Amino acid sequence: MSEHRHSRTTEAVLRSLVPVICPPEAHALAGAIVAHLALTLGASPPLVRASFAAGLVAYDLGALPLHGRRARHLSPEAAERYYALWERGPTPVHAQLARAINQLMSLSCYEQPEMMERVGYRPGPWIEEVRRRRLTVHRDDVRRQEAQVLAPDPLRPGVSVRAHRREDRG
Amino acid sequence: MAVARPALLEDARPPGVLTRHDLHGDTVLDADVVVVGSGAGGATLAAELAEAGFDVVILEEGPYYGTRDFTADTSAMVRQLYRDGGATLALGNPPVMYQEGRAVGGSTVINGGMSWRTPDKVLARWEREAGLAGIARDLEPCFERVERRIHVAPMDEDAIGTDNWLLKRGADAKGWSIIGNLRNQSHCVGSNRCAFGCPTGAKQSALVSYVPRALRFGARIYADVRVDRIMRHGKRATGVIGTVAGSGHRVAVRAKLVVAACGAIHTPALLARSGFRSPSGRIGHNLSMHPNVKVVAIFDEPVTNWKGAHQAFQVRQFQDQGLVFAAVGMPPSILAMSFPHRGAALGQLMDRYDQMLLAGMLCEDTATGRVRAIDGRPQAFYQLAEADAANLQRGVALLSELLFAAGARRILLPFHGAADLQSADDARRLLDRPIPARGWEVVTVHMMGTAAMGRDRSRAVTDAFGFVHDADRLMVADASLFPTPIGVNPMETIMALATRNAGHVIDHARRFLS
Repeated sequence: MSEHRHSRTTEAVLRSLVPVICPPEAHALAGAIVAHLALTLGASPPLVRASFAAGLVAYDLGALPLHGRRARHLSPEAAERYYALWERGPTPVHAQLARAINQLMSLSCYEQPEMMERVGYRPGPWIEEVRRRRLTVHRDDVRRQEAQVLAPDPLRPGVSVRAHRREDRG
Repeated sequence: MAVARPALLEDARPPGVLTRHDLHGDTVLDADVVVVGSGAGGATLAAELAEAGFDVVILEEGPYYGTRDFTADTSAMVRQLYRDGGATLALGNPPVMYQEGRAVGGSTVINGGMSWRTPDKVLARWEREAGLAGIARDLEPCFERVERRIHVAPMDEDAIGTDNWLLKRGADAKGWSIIGNLRNQSHCVGSNRCAFGCPTGAKQSALVSYVPRALRFGARIYADVRVDRIMRHGKRATGVIGTVAGSGHRVAVRAKLVVAACGAIHTPALLARSGFRSPSGRIGHNLSMHPNVKVVAIFDEPVTNWKGAHQAFQVRQFQDQGLVFAAVGMPPSILAMSFPHRGAALGQLMDRYDQMLLAGMLCEDTATGRVRAIDGRPQAFYQLAEADAANLQRGVALLSELLFAAGARRILLPFHGAADLQSADDARRLLDRPIPARGWEVVTVHMMGTAAMGRDRSRAVTDAFGFVHDADRLMVADASLFPTPIGVNPMETIMALATRNAGHVIDHARRFLS
């Protein structure tokens, strides 16, 4: 896993895509969403990272002939229409990039604490509650299993490789 | 009642596990056996051999994490525990996204914990087609041993969540066979975090079972070490050379037996880049993937899919036709990324997250793909067969019928441009229009078959005990060994084969120690 930093261009393009991909209640989280995307990309293979970055640059520049400005500078309505064009896919590559942007940004959007809270997802307290229950209600069984994992139980009882070794040396 | 202290095996990094922080220069080690990979196959084989008295070194590419490191932060867990952050693709149309664990304990740290014996019909096929005479008889005591070790048991009822009870309600309404899942767990309490590292220690992954057992009997584990190649003298494997993550220091292990247990994608690549050739020419061929698709059902009632045990039941009505269904709870971020929706539409859909049930199916595939080593790195190629796509389509229709019978109001489908289903009639009409293979969104966690066992060296990569044909002292111990897909979750089969093959090594110890 390596650290990944967006270039200034890709960061700007991604920020401009937040209103297109994420629900309105997440728009104020654009900075955190784009930062989270960098973490996700940092865990991806270098080829995926490079392809995604190149795709974003192409997406940005591709708006010039259609709208006379880069994608990151489009009005909200034009940005919506431009993304939809890629989504429908003049070529499969356009559609794949649009899908990848949607997937990665949706993931990052719903990894934000505010969005998890909004949909009622609160795993931390739940994990604590069930962990506590396991170690109290089932404590004896848990201990028994731990002991079983470490207890001697040879696959071939009576066979010792160490004995072979001693015999061979002797 | 007072809370018990954290369980013994959940403690900090145990003695015997070394990481990149302990390796300050190039290192040369000697051992009887070096095992590459610490997952279901590697850890099991290592523990059995260590207990028999072999001096065992395990090298693991991923880091060491203990149970306490597994948190509620989903994306952090994916980045830390999954190879390439889970973004690995088998190339084809459609591409198949697959996931592998990359940590001490391997994929057992991130799997669902389903523990099923290899079906009898599969073992009969292996006997017949791969010449593995007596394998069913050989494996019987190994299954028992593995099940005892990793505590294979049905779920405690109070740990089963609403999503799984709804699945059962639907199957019962249809009159279809549904069974309680057997899982390697010791009082799973339903945190539903199996895929992100079990934070309660209940899942008996290799990390908390075979790995501590191997350490108990003297094995040493070196985490953060990626094995670059197997050293050889002629056809004889003599050890391995690896690189420490971060520092680039080298680790060489000289050993009398080398075991490749890196999974069905990386094992063939390791063999190939080390210059081993099979007389069969089949290293990396025969890749099966159990393609998996998911549907999302929306109910009127709360489902709260993130509370309760993962896949507590399996629908087995269509197992003979290669289809098994289960409910799989997932965090909102993972669900959101699977939807084509965006903007306000995504928000409106996700506002119903608490009413969503995610159900998936495993398909026993008929196609095979291939792993090629490109510049030494593996790349999988797999083309979903049209016949398998048709089977998936039938499975989606059946699963949707079941979910409507359970009370679902709407079902979202796993292929591009598909309208949502609103009724069981819609589900049945799904079969009216074939969906080509390229239209599916397919994922998998079951990769198998790329160094298959078999008596015939002109057709198989390894012999009946996992030794590479036409090589000496080189063994495979992972799902690469499967001659065919098995139609159920593969972990227990991998562990049972490793146990059986460890027995073979112990029985011939003199030969391997010479």
